[in-house]
Amino acid sequence: MALCGVADTGSHSMDKSITLPPDEIFRNLENAKRFAIDIGGSLTKLAYYSTVQHKVAKVRSFDHSAKVSLQETDGDPLYEISVQEEITARLHFIKFENAYIETCLDFIKDHLVNTETKVIKATGGGAHKFKDLIEKKLKLKVDKEDEMTCLIKGCNFVLKNIPHEAFVYAKHADSEFRFQHTHPDIFPYLLINIGSGVSIVKVEAEDKFERIGGSSIGGGTFWGLGALLTKTKRFDELLQLASKGQHTNVDMLVKDIYGGAYGSLGLTGDLIASSFGKSATTDKEFSKEDMAKSLLHMISNDIGQLACLYAKLHNLTRVYFGGFFIRGHPVTMHTITYSINFFTKGEVQALFLRHEGYLGAIGAFLKGAEEDNPNQYSWGENYAGSSGLMSVSPELNPIQRARSGTFDMLEMDRLERQLVNLPLLQDATSYIPDTVDLTEDALAREYWLYCFEEALDGVVKRAIASQKDQPEAVERAEKFRQKYRHKLQTLRHQPFAYGSLTVRSLLDTREHCLNEFNFPDPYSKIKQKENDMALKYYLKVVKSVEELSWEQRQFNLVKGLLAGNVFDWGAKAVSDVLESDPEFGFEQAKQQLQERPWLVDAYNQWIERLKGPPHKCALFFVDNSGIDIILGVFPFIRELLIRGTEVVLASNSGPALNDVTNSELQILTERIAAMDPVIHAALKEDRLALVQNGSSSPCLDLSRLDKVLATVVRERGTDLVIIEGMGRAIHTNYYAMLSCESLKLAVIKNSWLADRLGGKIFSVVFKYEVPSKAQGQH
Amino acid sequence: MALSGGVDRGSHSMDKSITLPPDEIFRNLENAKRFAIDIGGSLTKLAYYSTVQHKVAKVRSFDHSTKVSVQETDGDPLYEISVQEEITARLHFIKFENAYIETCLDFIKDHLVNTETKVIKATGGGAHKFKDLIEKKLKLKVDKEDEMTCLIKGCNFVLKNIPHEAFVYAKHADSEFRFQHTHPDIFPYLLINIGSGVSIVKVEAEDKFERIGGSSIGGGTFWGLGALLTKTKRFDELLQLASKGQHTNVDMLVKDIYGGAYGSLGLTGDLIASSFGKSATTDKEFSKEDMAKSLLHMISNDIGQLACLYAKLHNLTRVYFGGFFIRGHPVTMHTITYSINFFTKGEVQALFLRHEGYLGAIGAFLKGAEEDNPNQYSWGENYAGSSGLMSVSPELNPVQRARSGTFDMLEMDRLERQLVNLPLLQDPTSYIPDTVDLTEDVLAREYWLYCFEEALDGVVKRAIASQKDQPKAVERAEKFRQKYRHKLQTLRHQPLLSRRRMTWP
Repeated sequence: MALCGVADTGSHSMDKSITLPPDEIFRNLENAKRFAIDIGGSLTKLAYYSTVQHKVAKVRSFDHSAKVSLQETDGDPLYEISVQEEITARLHFIKFENAYIETCLDFIKDHLVNTETKVIKATGGGAHKFKDLIEKKLKLKVDKEDEMTCLIKGCNFVLKNIPHEAFVYAKHADSEFRFQHTHPDIFPYLLINIGSGVSIVKVEAEDKFERIGGSSIGGGTFWGLGALLTKTKRFDELLQLASKGQHTNVDMLVKDIYGGAYGSLGLTGDLIASSFGKSATTDKEFSKEDMAKSLLHMISNDIGQLACLYAKLHNLTRVYFGGFFIRGHPVTMHTITYSINFFTKGEVQALFLRHEGYLGAIGAFLKGAEEDNPNQYSWGENYAGSSGLMSVSPELNPIQRARSGTFDMLEMDRLERQLVNLPLLQDATSYIPDTVDLTEDALAREYWLYCFEEALDGVVKRAIASQKDQPEAVERAEKFRQKYRHKLQTLRHQPFAYGSLTVRSLLDTREHCLNEFNFPDPYSKIKQKENDMALKYYLKVVKSVEELSWEQRQFNLVKGLLAGNVFDWGAKAVSDVLESDPEFGFEQAKQQLQERPWLVDAYNQWIERLKGPPHKCALFFVDNSGIDIILGVFPFIRELLIRGTEVVLASNSGPALNDVTNSELQILTERIAAMDPVIHAALKEDRLALVQNGSSSPCLDLSRLDKVLATVVRERGTDLVIIEGMGRAIHTNYYAMLSCESLKLAVIKNSWLADRLGGKIFSVVFKYEVPSKAQGQH
Repeated sequence: MALSGGVDRGSHSMDKSITLPPDEIFRNLENAKRFAIDIGGSLTKLAYYSTVQHKVAKVRSFDHSTKVSVQETDGDPLYEISVQEEITARLHFIKFENAYIETCLDFIKDHLVNTETKVIKATGGGAHKFKDLIEKKLKLKVDKEDEMTCLIKGCNFVLKNIPHEAFVYAKHADSEFRFQHTHPDIFPYLLINIGSGVSIVKVEAEDKFERIGGSSIGGGTFWGLGALLTKTKRFDELLQLASKGQHTNVDMLVKDIYGGAYGSLGLTGDLIASSFGKSATTDKEFSKEDMAKSLLHMISNDIGQLACLYAKLHNLTRVYFGGFFIRGHPVTMHTITYSINFFTKGEVQALFLRHEGYLGAIGAFLKGAEEDNPNQYSWGENYAGSSGLMSVSPELNPVQRARSGTFDMLEMDRLERQLVNLPLLQDPTSYIPDTVDLTEDVLAREYWLYCFEEALDGVVKRAIASQKDQPKAVERAEKFRQKYRHKLQTLRHQPLLSRRRMTWP
């Protein structure tokens, strides 16, 4: 997307010389329907809906009915893998300078195939100015929508659908951006929109908002007065001037009047008593920088105070700031934050939005798409097609600025499943899935970015190998490599680009990028082979366990579960071993395991618990396919089933690494049931259920789970949650507090992480938690 | 008092050429004790306490005890009349530009007789700047008092003691100033002091106040930004520019963005959407007048909104505005009033104070006079020695401006009796003694001013006749005639800038 770095970005000239690369922007235009456009004072935001054809790997069981029972089917693969086309819905949002509007409209006209679309929803102050141009170029009727309604609709949408949408800005902190985990209930909130002027809007529900106040001292005032004072006509340049200025040269401070603090009134000496107070009585020339800084402070402080007063008056604590004055400018975010802290003494936090610039366009789009009910679906940001938060900080290097100044994109994929909270979360509002926030932990960030970059070659190789029959796979894999490497580089410089940077987001971004280049499931064949191989040992493992005493058996089952978890292609250390030594077996894995006491060892408590009454129902979030699921998980849950505990196996809806998917697990379970009467009976009697978790991530966000899973969990009275694997139990959910008993177990297959946790590679985490009585009782 | 019309009022030079007429200002200095001074950014306010010797007519009954009962005493007058000297207490407040401070200090030094006074209470931002000068000239120790405490003390004092202290400003009404009858209980109230910056103070009782908010966008911002934008360095001139400007040339209005009103949000087309919004994207030159006007609107509206929000948040309905940004400037009173009306939809009225400029000096004086318990007496404004409210409106003629810009006075006489409400009033808060308000009734005003002027000759004659034995009486009566006629003329020309609620005799 690093296009036209040197193009003139002045907003007064129509620049038509730009050539748009169709791979990158305005993607899927051929399937586009429902357009919306939000034209602001300098930026245009275009929104459209498209359907995307994706290749997905499907598994289908061969018909084994002819072959009788447990007999092995040597040579034949376990199940059939086919790649199918699947159509998913996607929302596209593109932001560019008004200067490119004509070029963009031409481009859209040339690429638009769908002719059903007759109307384009429009909002923003510039909508009427460009109405004729749009109608002429696109042959679409421009249908104006109310600006404030669109803004609020868009704001509700991003707050609901993008987990790390809102952030707190802290200039001098380790991580400039601290993302807020979105509360399940986003209302009520205050939106302070700082455009030319300021609008203060109280939002109480999806369709209920009121402009409770406003001010004429806004972005236009900074720009207008700044232009008059400094003869600098560009907003960005004014901000740049301001960032270099000293406001104390122009402002009259408390100490300038009183010689120090005004203690009895609680005013510190450095407080600004009078903005521009020094220029009233001094004859000297003031520098442009100083005046710009003083102006910035004056306006930010004023807005900050108004925001606080309105928040107090209406008893609101969530205050979001948006509008072009804010839009990714660290300078203004800093001064607004400072002002809010000053006036509320920290009681209210200034919150900013990653996609603030898109709110109007999103809202206008939603207005036009009401018949499709976009609000009834869950949506997820497609990291591969979204630019991420770009700082337009004047301190940034010119390439970054040019890029952010030209085309910025957001893509939202419609999720097939509606996502909700796990009902067993102790406190949904304070739940944070990720264990480490890499935006805040610089050392961890460096390590993981390095780690993912190191692993990239292997992933590329794996992707190519998974599509050996397709000659262009190499080329696509190369594109994938470039895209993901570029994302990693962006994240290295701007770790806040997609919200809190976490191991999960790095993994998810990789999956999104693989999907983008039609590598929907690079591990499908490996998973198939491993599943096939592991099934052959299933009965042997079950039998060997059955012969043991109760105590020994329990230990062996847990060890098997842990040993199975060693087989993980996602972890670099293991993929190295597996690739060089395919014979690395289950028993060897057991021996690799750390001896007790483990790094985290609650095994004794677990055994004591097992001596008590059986659990009613266990929810098991499974991890890898092959040895892990077949030789680790199944013998373990088999014992639970025998004890009289119902079991729900929750697996991924879509592929991620070698994690077992729900459709694969269906086949595996059938095959195991065919061999094992215990499983067979449990399935038949519905004591064993398979559900999908709604995710395609190697990690687990318990606040965004398939709605069906939540229903099953509630109906069955689940009283035990088992979370397995590094991705789900360490990188995420390690600190998750549940309202029932939980087991979190994993083998640390990463020496850096093991080191951090105070252990060695292949250390074992076996965390058994029981909520305190007060919290456990409902 | 029409002195020094042509004197340079620049605040940077010390002007010593002025000659002060002792009859008019710094009166009763020879009896002065307890000094206080409030030195602001451009004006100095001096306060002192004096005792005044007044001739009073006393009547005394003859001794009729020897004569019996109802019988008439033909030839003998009923009672005896004598003229006696009586001493009353008076507070003097004088306001003048900082430029005259040295002249004034010299004058005071030359006329000060009382040597008991050792200390001068001082407040205001300029107090420390002139500390040495004051101590050197007057040989008094400068004792600094907290500025905000003085301001509030002064405000409480005028609200309690001057019935028509507060007024509402209405630019287009028949009478620009509508005076409020002071409530018996003046608390609680909000004071918005607009000096260089803005202080928002909640006053709950005589000694209980809190600065609940403030803003750096105040008079200094108007002045400072105005100076940068228009190259006009004087505050008054900036206001004059503003009064001639069209803010719509510089501001972006709602209709400039939406082509009309933004109905669904209840925003009219003429509402300012963005102050200086037009100068962001237009390359043309803007006139000084237009920029000054836009700036004035921006600042007044902002302060108005803040005032409303703080008033609402603290549930206060009485909001007084003061500080040099306001100080008698119709332009700023108008924009502030407009803004308050807009933001509170009329629920809160912007109130201004006639003696707003004296609050600090009054407060500082009261701090120094606490042993005399000035708060336990009732005080009355001495109309003869007080300048009254003068407009410094740029539209006014230069003589008036010069006068108001030089020396302005307030005198408060201590009343011998403490005054309270008649307990039988049905509602003391709504009681208004006067039947007709001549500031509002133009016809009645014209008639009564004419009537009093016509009657003046008769009054002068009567005065002389009452003191036939005193040869100087004619001269004094002539002075009386001049003074009262001047007052009547002032009231005729500035009925709307009246010094006080003008009423029927």
